[in-house]
Amino acid sequence: MARLNDDAQWIVLMGFIVSFSLFFLAIVVNQSTVVGQTTAEGVLEFPKNDIRSVREEVIACSDADMDKVLKDMASIAMDRKNAVVSFRITQAPQGLPFNKTFEIHYNNGVTAYNETATY
Amino acid sequence: MVNSDGQLFTIEGIAAGLIMLLTAYIVVSTTSMYTPGDTHISDMQLEQLGSDALRMMNTPNSTAESGQSMLQNIIKNKETERFRETFLTFCNSTTAGSYDNLQLSADLYYRTGTNTVNKYHLTHSRNLTGGEHAVRVTEWVHLNDCNNLCGVGLRPGVQTVLVEVLLWRD
Repeated sequence: MARLNDDAQWIVLMGFIVSFSLFFLAIVVNQSTVVGQTTAEGVLEFPKNDIRSVREEVIACSDADMDKVLKDMASIAMDRKNAVVSFRITQAPQGLPFNKTFEIHYNNGVTAYNETATY
Repeated sequence: MVNSDGQLFTIEGIAAGLIMLLTAYIVVSTTSMYTPGDTHISDMQLEQLGSDALRMMNTPNSTAESGQSMLQNIIKNKETERFRETFLTFCNSTTAGSYDNLQLSADLYYRTGTNTVNKYHLTHSRNLTGGEHAVRVTEWVHLNDCNNLCGVGLRPGVQTVLVEVLLWRD
């Protein structure tokens, strides 16, 4: 049987090291496309603009229109966005430093937003 | 007696096994290849752009209580052409060079007197084929009266309607 020749094993070892490091670098490059996905999906799923728009609309509507606007927004939001939208505007009692209280509720099953604002 | 000859063969065997496992892993994982388009980053940017454009259109020029936004006027007067032009200008403007190539299809949703939600198609810049990768942006619009839209089924008087825009890059 020929004698096992173990000369120059370091060349083989270097080869392994280089190829493994290349492999891990390739994994890093491969993962780079996925990096933004979770962020983007998180941003898309969070109804930031819906909430801001509801808020703006509620604050713009006056007491007199409240019932109609509430019915409009509740039914359209349920129909088009699968979201529960509700709000209430109440006149603050005398002697407080603000006139009205806004209570806004938004819930689309994933994100719930509740706010009580005064002005 | 334990003989330590041939250790190199053992190491080689382990290395070969690892390489085969890695190869199998790579082969299996290439069937689900992610491209940047799958990661929804462009959708996120498009949605933000569209929301901002609608928000700009729904911001009144004056702070007076009677100040109406461009979007409110457009809807009241049923100026669908103006809506399309303004929205596309806002979305397609770039800092330099040629215009971007975004397309839209816009609908108006309103509650009727009988408590059903109806749709009125405002405008579109391309026909929807179903193959578009569109995002949806919306904006609540407060109307004092139905004005020119009374004919399409909006109730008279104060109401809130929803403008819904499908936006995609063509």
